[in-house]
Amino acid sequence: MKPVSASPLSPSVKVKLLNAGFLTSEELLQLKPLQLSKEGGLSLEEALEVQQILREGVDLPGEGGAGLGSTALELLQQEERSIVTFCSSLDAALGGGVPVGKTTELCGTPGMGKTQLCLQLCIDVQIPECFGGLGGEAVFVDTEGSLVAQRVADMAQAAVQHCCLQDQDAEQRDALKDFTTESLLGHLYLMRCHDYVELLAQVQLLPDFLVKNPKVRLLVIDSLAFPFRRHFEDLSVRTRLLSGLAQQLIRMASQHRVAVVWTNQMTSQLRGGQWELVPALGESWGHSATQRLLLHWSGGRRLASVFKSPSQSESSVAYSVTREGFRDAGPLASSPSGREQDSSSQSESRQVSSSQSGSKRPRTQEGQ
Amino acid sequence: MMKSINNGCSERRHVPWAGRKHCPRFACCQHYHSQIPLLFTVEDLVASDSEELAQKCSLSYKALLAIRRVLLAQHTAFPVSGADLYEELLSSTAIVSTSIPSLDKLLDSGLYTGEITELSGGPGTGKSQVCFAAAVHTAHRLKQSVIYIDTTGGLSASRLLQMLQVQTDHVEEQMEALQRIRVFRVFDIFSLLGCLHTIRCGGPQQASLGAGSVKAVIVDSVSAIISPTLGGKQNEGMSLMMQVAGALKTIAKDFNVAVLVTNHVTRGAGGELQAGLGLTWSHVPRTRLLLERSRGPGPLLGSTRTATLVKSSRQPCHIKAQFDLNWGSGSEEGLPGRKRARDSSDS
Repeated sequence: MKPVSASPLSPSVKVKLLNAGFLTSEELLQLKPLQLSKEGGLSLEEALEVQQILREGVDLPGEGGAGLGSTALELLQQEERSIVTFCSSLDAALGGGVPVGKTTELCGTPGMGKTQLCLQLCIDVQIPECFGGLGGEAVFVDTEGSLVAQRVADMAQAAVQHCCLQDQDAEQRDALKDFTTESLLGHLYLMRCHDYVELLAQVQLLPDFLVKNPKVRLLVIDSLAFPFRRHFEDLSVRTRLLSGLAQQLIRMASQHRVAVVWTNQMTSQLRGGQWELVPALGESWGHSATQRLLLHWSGGRRLASVFKSPSQSESSVAYSVTREGFRDAGPLASSPSGREQDSSSQSESRQVSSSQSGSKRPRTQEGQ
Repeated sequence: MMKSINNGCSERRHVPWAGRKHCPRFACCQHYHSQIPLLFTVEDLVASDSEELAQKCSLSYKALLAIRRVLLAQHTAFPVSGADLYEELLSSTAIVSTSIPSLDKLLDSGLYTGEITELSGGPGTGKSQVCFAAAVHTAHRLKQSVIYIDTTGGLSASRLLQMLQVQTDHVEEQMEALQRIRVFRVFDIFSLLGCLHTIRCGGPQQASLGAGSVKAVIVDSVSAIISPTLGGKQNEGMSLMMQVAGALKTIAKDFNVAVLVTNHVTRGAGGELQAGLGLTWSHVPRTRLLLERSRGPGPLLGSTRTATLVKSSRQPCHIKAQFDLNWGSGSEEGLPGRKRARDSSDS
């Protein structure tokens, strides 16, 4: 006996139904559509729609197969491999990489390497399973026009070379045949959105795309903040749109088993008489991502700080952006994939001073 | 909750429009439709003017009053003496520890069953961690089931396992405890209402399928799901929010479970932190904690958090306690429950 007031119908229809004396959705479902339209003072289309919506709700209580829920043990078994970042210390700080089925936000000032990290993830998610990757595909939603194909090709080449150095058994050699720069670029789907309406529409349609392309394991939105930082007179509308968007992204992450990564910009805020750099889009937006990573400078080093995470404690690790892509800081910048080094001491790499950091600035469009 | 007049009235023959369950608008009402307000629920009848109704329905005023009295008697709350209440409290109320000593102290030894406790705080202030700790403690130490409604995708099973590993070395016990935590993932308010409804109808016992009785329902976070419906020109959000509140309260009371919810924070006019979802929601939780990062030297880092008691019916408000999030990682501190708990009752 589910009350009508709690069902996902439009407010005006609900009022009509309640005034007509319908209290539970069961009552509505027992009637024929024609009767319902007469009794409730609705048009026939509305009545049909009402019954359809309610029937869906009956079939899927809790929606998305939540049904009776699942135990934490089942969830533990479902947890998949994470996407490595090729920066072993960052992988360690994140507990193995960027988690699939969760959302991750990257915040940072321009030029910190947010887009670089996103591109790196797009490449890394495609590493074949025998190399410890996911063998997946990636979707890149570009709102700033910051994706440079040449740069992706460079990174892809570096990743291919890296895997070639490692091949040991026949399976890996076999997998390498298909693991080429072309295939890497071919399995990166790019979507360009120019404003927030396009972005919202795209996110609405993405679940269909994910159903059609079940191998997609990563969704990147770069950047989410940009379209939402202009054209808004009424900030409360923006907050509502954003929190709705966040819920959609989280739903997508958990239902389609993809890692959702988006970037956010920084803004300055007056706090206690001092200007501080804080992530943009407001205070309550900070809750929306499961994990939050802050990229910032500290004493000439690029640092990535895990700012919010349900499973990892807060920590800061150094990284660098090189010609090959997103790598560990220090002399061993182009170190092998993080998977082997997960257990390697994180403090060690932290102490290594990053002589290379910032030496190669792959992107030229942004100033410091 | 509204009750149908048909279920509530025992003297059916006096009510001409009773007995037609499934077709709510029946002949006699249609006849009077233009003149009298439609009566469908006990609420409608009680709220209507009896004298006017008697005239319009050509019923005797006396009969109407009798019906009214019967209905009121059936639906009224029975007075309970304070002594009985206290007796019941002692026999049925349980206090579920959060397993964090300093927080337990703030909450007067833990989460009370039958009540809603709220944790509010900014991102990364440890709300989810406290939820995990409470869930793990209930599942492992108390051997009771937990219903965990995850609306942000923030539940990390590996973190739960990590916390359990600190408590026990037996893999079997860890797995048993994990099985007692039932997770629902809902991402919009209607699914949440549906989910709460399922829990309420099936009873938490059924929802957890024989893995022990449910002692705690955790909603993390309630604001993530409600805030998309508030703001702008929408006015339905408020009603939906209060439906969630009502459902949570009913679950807490009827099944005698502790309900723990998390909420975000907003900044007031003076820049001070306050719990989100506005004034209306602030009446819903019985106890409210505000979590903050302890001001460290840097912009972030450090796992110490400050909890402030903002609303409570048991303890003086605005007492503070500090706690450490690294509990349960096994790396920093070895022993379970040995958290760096430095209580400071300043302010």
